[in-house]
Parts: sequence; C-alpha cells; structure tokens
Amino acid sequence: MDQFFLWLEATALSTWMRESVSVFAFPMILSYHTIGMGFVAGLSAAMDLRILGVGRRVPLLELKRFLPVLWFAFWLNAVSGVLLLIGYPTKALTNPVFYLKLTFIAFAIVLLRRITKSIFQSPDLDLGEIPARGKWLAAASLFCWVGTIFAGRLLAYTYTRLTAS
Amino acid sequence: MTIYEIQHWLLTTLRSVHIVEPIMTSRWGWPICESLHFVGLSLLIGTVGMFDLRLLGVAKRIPISALHRLIPWGIGGYFINIITGSMFLVTAPDQYLYNSSFHLKMLFMAIAGLNVVTFYSAMFRKVNVLGAGADAPWGAKWIGGASLFLWTGIIIFGRLLTFYRPFVCGDEGQTGLLATCLLPK
Repeated sequence: MDQFFLWLEATALSTWMRESVSVFAFPMILSYHTIGMGFVAGLSAAMDLRILGVGRRVPLLELKRFLPVLWFAFWLNAVSGVLLLIGYPTKALTNPVFYLKLTFIAFAIVLLRRITKSIFQSPDLDLGEIPARGKWLAAASLFCWVGTIFAGRLLAYTYTRLTAS
Repeated sequence: MTIYEIQHWLLTTLRSVHIVEPIMTSRWGWPICESLHFVGLSLLIGTVGMFDLRLLGVAKRIPISALHRLIPWGIGGYFINIITGSMFLVTAPDQYLYNSSFHLKMLFMAIAGLNVVTFYSAMFRKVNVLGAGADAPWGAKWIGGASLFLWTGIIIFGRLLTFYRPFVCGDEGQTGLLATCLLPK
C-alpha cells in the first residue's frame, strides 16, 4: 500500500494540492467541499424535517425540485473530495475514521434514493399522513448526515500519518 | 482610539473570558465544537438556502408561507454557530482578530443581517400571502440571491481563516502578536 501512496503523492496533481501557495488550490477546494456539504446535508436534512412533520403544508411532491441542486452539490463534493484525497492519500486512507465517513455517506445516499422513490414520487402522499417507515428513513438520514459531518471534521484530529514519505 | 487600540482592547477583553476554557482545551472539545459548527452551517444553508431558492423560482408549487416553517431550524443552526463561534473566538482571539479572512467573514455576516432585516421589514408580508405557483416579486428574488451569495461567502471566509493565521510578532509567542508590534510602545 505504501508503494501506491508514494507513487500517488509523487504525481503532479498531488504535489500541487499539497504545495501550491495559490488560494485557489487547497484552500478553495476545501471551501467548495464545505459549500457542497452545506447544500447536500442541509437540503437533505430540510427534506427529512418535512417528512418528520415540520412545515406540513409543504407539498412533498414538489420537494423533488430541489434534488438537482442537491445532486449538483453532491458531485461537487465527490470531485473536491477526490482532489483532497489525491493531495493526502496516506492521511485519509490509513485513518479508520475516513472509512466511517464513507460508510455514513453511502448509507445517507441510499436513504436519499429510497426517500426520493417512496415519498417524493407517490402522488397519494403529497400533503397526507406519512407512514412510519418514511419517518424512520428521514430520521436515519439525519443521523447519517450528522455522522458524516462529525467523521469528516474529526479527520483533521485522528490521522496518524500525513504522507507516506 | 485607533483601530489597533480597539483590536488590542478586544483581544484582552476576549482573553479574559475563561468560562469555556476547560472545554476548549480538552482533547475533543475544540473538534466537537467545530463539528457542531458544521452541523449548524448545514441546517442554515439547508433551510434558508431552500427558502432563497424558492424565492428565486425553484419549486414554485410550494407556498412561501409553508416553506417558511422550516426557517426556525435554520435560526437554530445560526445560534449553534454563534455559540460555537464565540467559543473559538474567546479561546484564541488573536487567531481571529488579526485575520483578514475573519474580518471579511464578519463583514459578510453583517450584510447578511441587514439583508434579513430588509426582507422581513419590506418583503415578508408581500411574499407570505403568495400561494402555490406564485412568482416572488423582483425585490424578494434579489434578497434571496444576495442571501445565497453572502452565506456562500461566509463559508469560504470561514474556511480560509486557517490559511490566513496572523504571524507571530517578536519573541513573545502567543502574546506577541500584531497588536504588540503596531501599538506605540
């Protein structure tokens, strides 16, 4: 594994991520990642809150109009996240908390897709009573996003190796 | 009073607050507060940002008054961040008071505050009566767009804080910051 880290860290892109003094390198990519987090976790949480009973007059079917913004933010974070990973592969991949974060994200996305399919696309739910199963999906989604944020933030405090070299 | 004297006064005043020190200097205190700060950020962007997008014309079938019911959760996020943010500030005031990124963040927050006041004093009654399918007036669209722009800027300046930490001035370490250099001896 160290061979792979050494190779990746020697690539031009990885070196640029770590060593560039430009504010548009690491600092701005980290900022994009945070903006994307706000929209992905935030919009998803707002939808979860609606499912759990906040703002009952918001028609559920219409909430799907925000999904393109949410998915755009998700891909922004996938790309910025991969760039951050390319910059410091050893730091992330040798830290168990990083895998915990990825697990939370995977669950959150599965939950979001299930919520989209079973709630935002069923015409009989729009303003009606949401079944308990839907509320469980929303609560689990909130939990996973909070978990993702905590795991992500704690990466800066739990790594044991910065680079392979 | 010069700006340096004001900064120095703020520094000493904030530094005299010791109430959160045991939490912030513990092993996980600061990291947990940072995590909560990000959760608060997401609540704010998720609910207020969603509302701004509705003003701009996304999901028009949602009545604005209905979507406004989510705003208290954004305000909750805002207060989580005011509390955790103040905890960072009183623990390491020098990291912030002499940081240009922090100055810009505070400037943007002040403008965002004015934007909120403008919205509730001039626009809220007009948009709150709009039903499903209604377009928000241009004034409300501008306020919504400004809100998205300002909060995005606030996130960016918040993140850039780390990269614009002030330099240490002289040999006095933590106490020998810019203020010491700038103030006449």
